[in-house]
Amino acid sequence: MKKIILYTGALVLFAVAGCKKFVDINQDPNNPTSVQEKILLAPIEVNIANSIAAGGEATAATYVNHFMQMICYNQIALNYGTYYFVNTNMNASWSAVYATCLNNLKILRQESTADGNSNYTAISEILTAYTLAFTSDLWGDIPYSQALEGAGNFAPTYDKQEVIYDTVLALLDKGVADIDKKAGQKPGADDYYYSGDMSKWRKLAYSLKARYYMHLTKAPGHTAAAQADLALAALQNGFTGTADEWKFVYPGSSTSQNIWYVNMQALSTLVASTAIVDTLKTRNDPRLPFLIAPSKNTGLYTGRAIGSPSVGVYQDYSLLGAAYCSVGSTEYLMPYTEVQFIQAEANFIKSGAGAAQPFYTAGITTHMSKLGVDGGRITTYLASRGTLTDANGLEQIMQEKVIADFLSPENYNDWRRTGFPRLTIVPNAQAPAIPRRLIYPQSEINANPQPQQSATLVDRVWWDAQ
Amino acid sequence: MNQPKHQNCLPPAFSRWLLLAVVLLGMAVTPVLAQTQKITGKVFDETGHPVNGATVREKGGKRGAATDAEGKFSLVVKPGAVLVVTGVGLESQEIPIGSQSSLDIHMKGKSTALNEVVVTALGIRREKSQLTYSTQQVKGEALAATKETGVLNALAGKVSGVQITSSSGQPGASSRIVIRGSSSLLGNNEALIVLDGVPINNAQNGNAGGVATNTAVGGTSRLSDIDPATIESINVLKGSAASALYGSNAARGVVLITTKSGSFAKKPQVSINSQYSFENPIYPEMQTKYSLGDLLNGVRTYYDGDVMKTSAVWGLDIDSLVKQGIVKYNRNPMKAFFTTGRSYTNTLTVGGGSERSSYFFSYSNLDQTGTVPTTTFKRNALFAKFSNRITDQVSTTLQLGYTLSNNHSTPEGYDLTDPLWTIYTAPATWNPLPYLDSAGNQRVFRPGRNNAYWALYNVYNNSKTSRIIPVLTINYKPTTWLTFTERAGADTYSQQADYYEAPSSALTTVGTITQMSVNYRQFNHDLIGQVQQQFGDFNGSFLLGNNINTEYNQTHQLTGTGTSIIGFDNVTNGSTIVGKEFYTRRRKLGFYGQVNLEYKKFLNLSLTGRYDGSSVLSTKKNFYPYGSASAGFIFSELLKVPAISFGKLRVSYSSVGNDNVTPYSLSTPFTLAAGFPYGGNSGFLQSTTLGNPNLINETTKESEVGLEMNFLHNRIGFEASYFYRHHENLLTQNVPIAPSTGYNSTTLNAADMTNKGVEVLLNISPFKGKDLGWDVTLNYTRIRNNVTKINGNTQQLQIGQTWAFVGKPYGVFYNYGYARDSATHQILIDDGGLPKVSSNNVVIGNLQPDFLAGINNSFYYKNWTLAFFFDYRKGGEILNSDDRYGYFYGTPKVTGNRQDRIVPGILASTKEPNTKPVSAEAYYQRLNMIYEAAMQDGTYLKLRTASIGYKLSPAVMSKTPFSAASLTLTGRNLFIYAPHFTGSDPEVSSYGTSNGAEGTYGNTVPTSRSFNLTLNMVFK
Repeated sequence: MKKIILYTGALVLFAVAGCKKFVDINQDPNNPTSVQEKILLAPIEVNIANSIAAGGEATAATYVNHFMQMICYNQIALNYGTYYFVNTNMNASWSAVYATCLNNLKILRQESTADGNSNYTAISEILTAYTLAFTSDLWGDIPYSQALEGAGNFAPTYDKQEVIYDTVLALLDKGVADIDKKAGQKPGADDYYYSGDMSKWRKLAYSLKARYYMHLTKAPGHTAAAQADLALAALQNGFTGTADEWKFVYPGSSTSQNIWYVNMQALSTLVASTAIVDTLKTRNDPRLPFLIAPSKNTGLYTGRAIGSPSVGVYQDYSLLGAAYCSVGSTEYLMPYTEVQFIQAEANFIKSGAGAAQPFYTAGITTHMSKLGVDGGRITTYLASRGTLTDANGLEQIMQEKVIADFLSPENYNDWRRTGFPRLTIVPNAQAPAIPRRLIYPQSEINANPQPQQSATLVDRVWWDAQ
Repeated sequence: MNQPKHQNCLPPAFSRWLLLAVVLLGMAVTPVLAQTQKITGKVFDETGHPVNGATVREKGGKRGAATDAEGKFSLVVKPGAVLVVTGVGLESQEIPIGSQSSLDIHMKGKSTALNEVVVTALGIRREKSQLTYSTQQVKGEALAATKETGVLNALAGKVSGVQITSSSGQPGASSRIVIRGSSSLLGNNEALIVLDGVPINNAQNGNAGGVATNTAVGGTSRLSDIDPATIESINVLKGSAASALYGSNAARGVVLITTKSGSFAKKPQVSINSQYSFENPIYPEMQTKYSLGDLLNGVRTYYDGDVMKTSAVWGLDIDSLVKQGIVKYNRNPMKAFFTTGRSYTNTLTVGGGSERSSYFFSYSNLDQTGTVPTTTFKRNALFAKFSNRITDQVSTTLQLGYTLSNNHSTPEGYDLTDPLWTIYTAPATWNPLPYLDSAGNQRVFRPGRNNAYWALYNVYNNSKTSRIIPVLTINYKPTTWLTFTERAGADTYSQQADYYEAPSSALTTVGTITQMSVNYRQFNHDLIGQVQQQFGDFNGSFLLGNNINTEYNQTHQLTGTGTSIIGFDNVTNGSTIVGKEFYTRRRKLGFYGQVNLEYKKFLNLSLTGRYDGSSVLSTKKNFYPYGSASAGFIFSELLKVPAISFGKLRVSYSSVGNDNVTPYSLSTPFTLAAGFPYGGNSGFLQSTTLGNPNLINETTKESEVGLEMNFLHNRIGFEASYFYRHHENLLTQNVPIAPSTGYNSTTLNAADMTNKGVEVLLNISPFKGKDLGWDVTLNYTRIRNNVTKINGNTQQLQIGQTWAFVGKPYGVFYNYGYARDSATHQILIDDGGLPKVSSNNVVIGNLQPDFLAGINNSFYYKNWTLAFFFDYRKGGEILNSDDRYGYFYGTPKVTGNRQDRIVPGILASTKEPNTKPVSAEAYYQRLNMIYEAAMQDGTYLKLRTASIGYKLSPAVMSKTPFSAASLTLTGRNLFIYAPHFTGSDPEVSSYGTSNGAEGTYGNTVPTSRSFNLTLNMVFK
């Protein structure tokens, strides 16, 4: 009897062990658990170009182009163009920033640090800096120091914008230091921006530093002159020509179309806004046919006024032009002209119109040449714009920067800093003034309530001091 | 084949036997009998029908037996014993036995519907009167009478506690079945479907476009592969006490399908059923008074749609345009587009058997064309079942169903390619044909949408599903009190789904072809040992079993984008071709037991327990126990009041564990980045869904009380249940978390929810004569759902079209509403005279109905039958998305009133009453932004079916080769009264059967009104 019990007991134990094994089959065969740096970098770069610096209809980069009155819905008055926003409109951008880009940049940085591939580490630092600055410029205080911890922290508190800016600049310095280590693998085709040319990444890091120094021209505790000095100093190591600029060349295949091209299809009803079309027409700007497409019905350049109460005939309006908005158009995340206009502005701040003039002229010329405007028309245009004066200098620099930086979210930062180009609030506006920031996403409000989330569209971020 | 692999461990089959053996050894004490004799017999009621579940026992002895479905029993007794025979509704009898070994016993009184035998969990047949929980049976004939091609739609409105929602009027369209309310926030809420003891798949699939573009919706509920003609009965197990033995999935309720069988010792019976039906859509309410057009520079202008295009149907009065000769085409776009749908169903069945074997064959062919041209659903279903009594102890049943379902459908819902967009919002004044211009380009009246007719031929879904469901059951009954049942079944299908979308000049899309191949396999195995023994006044049964369930799903998908060869529906047409593969496995292991104790056939106690292991849960905690206890008290046996023919009170409590989460939710892998491969590079990113390695089972706790009573010789029957269900630690998949964590969502044991409800079923037979009879059946369901917790402090969670809010029922509409004065609640009006839109999303409705009810009346008079079935839903809101978009375009019927108006409300600026008139266009285009304006009460009353039939009399039949023949004319949806709903049918949820799809009506193929003629003939 004892034996029977013993055998039975042993069999039961074996059976239980067998059961356990039988259900232990939950390993995902469809997705890898780790990937190399180059597998991560390629989609990170595509996403920064395609969902951060520019993005779909309901993303931050598109919203700020409504604020800058570049584009307009052919819809009745309540829409993004008339500042009609609810918190859920911000979910997509935060998901792109945090879940798609920053989290993977963090993984890339950890992995490349462990592998000793300091070039990848540098790239992840530079792109993290860019993404953080982009996000903070629009939302002010944002999560970072406690963020990206997954289940480790479901409710990260938000860092002050001032702290984010310190982080951004530190990351850019760290990026340069990591490039200078010259260690480990170099990216290749996985780096759509620079194909692994680390000297260009180094120039980008410095150019971005200049951009962010300039963002703080009126920030509390900062002076425009000091920021201009810092920017000019950084640009000693920045871009030296269009060969250095930060751009993303859309392959233009059926699955890799330029995102602005996708946005400007009939489905969205987005057309060019009267403000930009008329500005170019008034100035006789030879870039008009490159930046704006003629109406399909009339062949004329006709924008639509934001805030119009009724719907117009879609094909009577202009769309955006082929230079920035065709299927394979290149997207400029930081064009060389931006550096030239930073130099113009910084020199203007420090030394006045005369010092700014050459950089201003160079900026316009660079942009026009890139578009393919012939030299004669460039000269005519420059002449028509006259010489910069101390009275009109800043305004005119910004008027031209916004054209050269066409569709760049950077224009909205410049407008908030300088007030130029002058914008007037649209009819039927749903906010008391032109927005000075974005509201926080519903996804954060629901899952991670923070005091900053009460901000409205007309509240100002830290560096946007009055 | 992916058979379970066992490495260095005992096969579970062995462990299962072992466990059973150990337990049975412990309890089986075989009585040693000195002098005994075996008695077999049959018990009949006074109408001569066999009595099921009558008790036969030896007077003064301990031995007894219950009769089976054929009234048979067998018992071992002492010589000269007296048998005591009792049964519900029958007068008990004492019968002395002489030397005979077999006898027929005729009882006084009538065996009632309550003696009816129903199929319960694990395919165990039990007398309904002895059940301690709520079930409701629907006979195969009742399903067939609905003339629905799908089983789910045939059940609609018939069973209390069950809500069935169809997604569209398109052939083969999916339907959702929820029993006793939603039990999961984001996980599966649909009932488990079990066919002859084997769980089968009822996923919604077949639309390959859904995966490729995330826009296409719907598909076919796979239960539609089952031919309703093969169904003997459906029993719905509602509460978890009833279903606990089925294991985890059964917490959501179970639909038990029992297929037809042949009969032993019966000559072959051949029958033919031939049906033809035609159907016409029930159109939504649209205006056809005004032309395409809009305000142009302040002047209301007619747009011809060819030179001047617009989406606005805010033009001029069509009649005067026609009179002036400006407009030559004027036709209701819906009437021009939809056509009469037709279906032919032919079924041949053969059944019969010898003394030791029986057989049943069925073949049916369904050929349906929809009301949208080009759409079809075709089904060829073959079913065969063989039963053999191999020895007196061993019997087997082998059955095999094979179905080939082919579906060709058009996309629906919010899919911009969808042809219905430009039907429901089209002007009457523009001729969409021909759909190509002379240059071969698509003709459109507005930018940004396809020509509906072009879309019909250039955007579609095809699916072919080939499905095999074999089931083998072996019964071994070594002695009268012991039975072993071995049941092995599989459900396998392969599916080819194809989504084709040609490049559209209207949408500037590049063209997409998706080819998806699905291989689905589910294997289910049960081994059950059952002991049944009579001890004096007690009748006890004890059951032990083991279940293994494995599920495999293998999908290969090829997507070609950028097609250039017109009309070439092959993935090689794509300029970019991306392949994907998904493979998921799920395994479950369960051990279960049940004890039933009956005392004198009026007190019942039932205990069940189950111990499950599931592969999808935390590896540290993937085994979990649960169980139920229930009791029934047939008080009528004690009362002996003649007017009360039957009365039972039952109570139950159960706690059921569930693993309602998809495989691989524990880990956080890297997933193929969107749009990759991109420019020749491969790319993966960390999944934005955070895995959770700590997932444990969720739990449903349910308390239920029920009262069942029959009066006046069972002329009136009544059954009512009250239940309270508490769903805890709900496995909530993709629950959103703050993106700043680095992830958009995770899976948690997070939410809690409750459902409480009342179900009532009433049967009345006012007349029951030889020539004339009238039966009334009424059912009523009222369920109150409440979401009690979402996740920590989270108060709201998006389900899809609707949301969950803590403290509110599941399915809250949360979107833009009217801006209202906080004090008076009046609508705020802006300075332009238009209602202001709320500054943020607000709660604007809920999809939960107040109650559901159905009433069926059936009459017979001599050879005639007449039946009609009304179905009623009170409340339950629905977002009429067609109206919402239509407000913008000027197409819903209400927009036919084009007078200026003063919108009631107060000015936001001054709080004074609004006095500023606005145009109809400005008003409705503002309402387009206010979702609240498109919320409609879904109350409806439907005459779901009405039929009249004639059966040829036996006298006539005697001269023919047929033994029976009947002809039936059935109308479906002859009448739908939905006073607050302006679409086709408020019962429809257009975006499919998923949780996220619920609640929205939009761009859906309308429900149809149909007539069906059925000829049924049985050969002699």
